Amino acid sequence: MNRKTIVQTTAIIVVGIILALVANAFASRDRKLALVGSYPNALTLPPHENAVLHSQAVTATSPPASTMTPSVTTAAPTQTSASSTTATATTTQPTATAAIETVGLNPAAKNPPAKTPSSLPPATASTPPPHPPLPTPPDDDPIKRFPSHPDKPYVEIAFADVNWLHGKKVLFLDARRTSVYEQGHISGARPYSVWESDIDDKVRKLFDERGDPQSQSLPIVIYCSGGDCEDSHMLAQKLWGIQFNDIYVYKDGFPDWQQHGGPIHTGANP
Amino acid sequence: MKRLLTNPWLTIRVQIALGAIFVIAAWPKIADPPSFAHMIYNYRLVPSSLINISSLVMPWVEMLAGLALILGVWKTAARNVIITLLAVFIVAISINLMRDNAIDCGCFNVADRGKSHEQRIFDMKVDVLRDLGMLVLGAQLVYARKREENEG
Repeated sequence: MNRKTIVQTTAIIVVGIILALVANAFASRDRKLALVGSYPNALTLPPHENAVLHSQAVTATSPPASTMTPSVTTAAPTQTSASSTTATATTTQPTATAAIETVGLNPAAKNPPAKTPSSLPPATASTPPPHPPLPTPPDDDPIKRFPSHPDKPYVEIAFADVNWLHGKKVLFLDARRTSVYEQGHISGARPYSVWESDIDDKVRKLFDERGDPQSQSLPIVIYCSGGDCEDSHMLAQKLWGIQFNDIYVYKDGFPDWQQHGGPIHTGANP
Repeated sequence: MKRLLTNPWLTIRVQIALGAIFVIAAWPKIADPPSFAHMIYNYRLVPSSLINISSLVMPWVEMLAGLALILGVWKTAARNVIITLLAVFIVAISINLMRDNAIDCGCFNVADRGKSHEQRIFDMKVDVLRDLGMLVLGAQLVYARKREENEG
């Protein structure tokens, strides 16, 4: 390769970089990217398809959520792979217990404690002591029914629990792209696409809104498109990183909500 | 055969075709960088901090190299850029095929098409073959250029 070709090749790349930066600077909010993103699992392969299928099969053949513990998958930013446990049926506990077991209060169903990022204060670094099972069916309070779980960034839940939480007006965040959100989203959900440049501003705003420890322990439900969509998990990890510790990921996402006939809203507003 | 392969009529058409393919491929990525960033993320080969900048710059480099080939300016440099990009795409898709990580290649479309694992794996194999085909076109340009230099 002669000198002229090297100069021309370099020129193509440099002009490409300049055009990219200019185009990004003038891009609309939902098409703009932060120059440096933060994607904790960028080099980690997702769980193998067979594991996902197995988990789905268990969920599909299991009794309704009111009588069982839903399947649980959690992942911490520092973990190299997600771990999962399969569902365990119970005939005596209502949905609430299922949720409680989901968040790691049942020693038999718990996952290895997640490692806490160094940015988090020591308050979240320790695994909470195991709580004894509730002797009576839990009450109607979302915080009691879905207690905080600072040892893991999120807990996956299914439609029955999501629907219950929706009825209790807890905060719902839609991690899909804003353009998709506007075509239809869970009624009341706010757009929080992890791929758009304003995500950090939105997260900061949420922190300002719910900055006190009590508010940070309120349940938040995050969803995306179900299936192998990881955007909701990524957003959950972001929020967990700033000490939101009661986050639930609606594993089957918006398609499942639609399928169950849950209330849907279209447009840019929640 | 050699004369046929290095025929200027053929070379110009190959050059325009390859350039046009890259311009067409670049456009959806330029139009929607966040979706392309998501595609790059899915490859699980690019470090977190480089995903966004790659998804912003790569389509513009594709676009410029494609336009240069179509317009017949800086042909050698543009051809080299395109051949390098094709080699990178082939390696990236092949690594994920070997790891059984089913992904949308994001080559011409950056929308998530909700395909099954099997469909994605099949499409990835087709994508590798298609990229190899384009690499053959690139090789024709290299060969024609070398012959042109030897004769001229």
